[in-house]
Amino acid sequence: MKTQLHLQDADSFYEQLLDAHQGLSTEQSELFNARLILLMANQIGDGRLLQECLAAARIAPAPAPA
Amino acid sequence: MDSAPTAGQAYQATAFTNDYEFSKGGYELPTYPFVAPPELGSKIAMRHPIVIVGAGITGLTMACALARHGVAAVVLDEDNSVGVKGASSRGICYTQKSLEIFQRLGIYDRIAAKGIQWSVGRTFAGNDEVYSFDLRQQSSFQLSAQPPFINIQQFYIEGFLVQRIQELGHVHLRWGSRVTGFTQHDGFATLTVDTPQGSYQIEAEHVVDASGSHTPFHRWCSASMQSRRGDDRWCIADVRFKNLPPTERHTWIEAPFNDNRAVWQHLMADDVWRIDYQMEPDADPALVSSEAEVHKRLRRQFGADVACEIVWVGPYAYRSQCLDALHIGNVFFMGDTAKIVSPFGARGGNTGVADADNLAWKLAAVLRGLAPAALLESYNQERLEAAQQNVQVTNRTARFLRPADGMERVFRTAVISLARQHPFARQFVNTGRMAVANPYSQSANCEGSGGLSVQNVFFRWEDGSPGCVNDLVLWADGRLLLLVFGDQSAQARQRLAELTRHAPVRCVQVLGTDTRRQSLETVRDPQGHLQGACHVFGHAWALVRPDAYLAATGEAVDSALVRAVEHALALA
Repeated sequence: MKTQLHLQDADSFYEQLLDAHQGLSTEQSELFNARLILLMANQIGDGRLLQECLAAARIAPAPAPA
Repeated sequence: MDSAPTAGQAYQATAFTNDYEFSKGGYELPTYPFVAPPELGSKIAMRHPIVIVGAGITGLTMACALARHGVAAVVLDEDNSVGVKGASSRGICYTQKSLEIFQRLGIYDRIAAKGIQWSVGRTFAGNDEVYSFDLRQQSSFQLSAQPPFINIQQFYIEGFLVQRIQELGHVHLRWGSRVTGFTQHDGFATLTVDTPQGSYQIEAEHVVDASGSHTPFHRWCSASMQSRRGDDRWCIADVRFKNLPPTERHTWIEAPFNDNRAVWQHLMADDVWRIDYQMEPDADPALVSSEAEVHKRLRRQFGADVACEIVWVGPYAYRSQCLDALHIGNVFFMGDTAKIVSPFGARGGNTGVADADNLAWKLAAVLRGLAPAALLESYNQERLEAAQQNVQVTNRTARFLRPADGMERVFRTAVISLARQHPFARQFVNTGRMAVANPYSQSANCEGSGGLSVQNVFFRWEDGSPGCVNDLVLWADGRLLLLVFGDQSAQARQRLAELTRHAPVRCVQVLGTDTRRQSLETVRDPQGHLQGACHVFGHAWALVRPDAYLAATGEAVDSALVRAVEHALALA
């Protein structure tokens, strides 16, 4: 699993992602995300890589103490 | 070479009479009389090598396979008939592997004559078709002497097995015989059997529990298991139509005529169709399976003028269960006593048939002195792996069809909408993955190159007439079948002769079209189908077990082959 930047233009993708959710209800946003995950998973294809992504997404570190 | 049954009879239309009569409200099943066994009225318990409990499809397949090996066994069944009285046909769909097994047992022609072949399956969401397959287009199914699937009521197969067992002899079928007690001893077990004429005791060196999901043997053997029970409820209706639906398997994930819940439409013999309706979670079983409700749903599905009669209807709560071990003391568990799966993909009855085929040749080999008792442990290794895989596959289908509220349902909605647009997403649509011959990757008796099923493909005998893999397996007569492909050196031929002299192995040389015949038994494989079925290429050997699974394959006739033979029979 890549942990260094691989996107050509991170800011631009992030903006497009947020824009895509604009005007959607919570329910529509959930469906959009689910469709996006499935589409992207098929681009990745590799089973072990997908498993690593699933595991990595599960662990959000607590913010560092002030 | 010894004479073998003529092949090429796979598609021969054979007229078989059957003992069943179709009548309004269900089938009249054949009944078998209770015959008092010698143990009744005797104080001494007789010791039998094998006692099979349960004459369902699994127990009868086991009994028939043993009878074919000439091994004696006793079958105890509490009922006096095949099928379940007043119940539906249960299993309806039989896989190529099961049909190949049934051909070896000698009942395939009867099944083919009575059953229905199908190859097209379609899956719908709402009114849209989102996925379809045609098995005739899938080359993997095409080379066997048996078709991809035949649909037929389970009790027909059970009836054919009873007929066949009676033809073969060796096995005593004891009807009206209910097992009510069990004690395990060192090297044997004692069973108490209740009959209409009193009870008696019987001793068994090996007990095969094929008595179904309500078996008392789990308790008697303190069997541990993994279980899962959901809230998914189904209503199953067997319906006889006057105007027949297409000869295809149709599944709906969200059927408009069933309040957007799932529906299955599958065919059987006698113009009877099975229609499964998914109900509301925890729906009242009596209400949803009342005939009036079912007729209402049928009119919604097929139109107000649908002409049909309901043969049987009943509610089902699907569940899964898998024992942690399939061999406890003297008892082997198989069929529904080994594992219970939701009926998606025909993974219930077909795996029971495979359980029986797996254990039968091993028990026969042990009892005939061809292999030590250690061979029997591989039953647990191989069929537990299969059971666990089948439970996993069917649980995944169940989860797709009854997603939990929240994100599971969101993802299913995403899958269905994507499947309408993009081919890749159709693979997520899971209305059941059809049963396969499960591979054995954990077995101590198969090498890394083995563990796969060998399809019942055709080859040519030396006189040019067609034969199939089952002919060779039958010729090997409970021993390992060694196929050697291509020319063999004098040294290799000498080693093969030595091997077949010292181990229970029968060897056949497989030649192409123009290779010269050498001193061995030979067959021709002009199109390479036999080689393909054994997953080998060029100069190679394939060691095939009596259940038509590969023990191993290799290239040179050397010590690796000898080791494979030893492992396959637990000789070392």
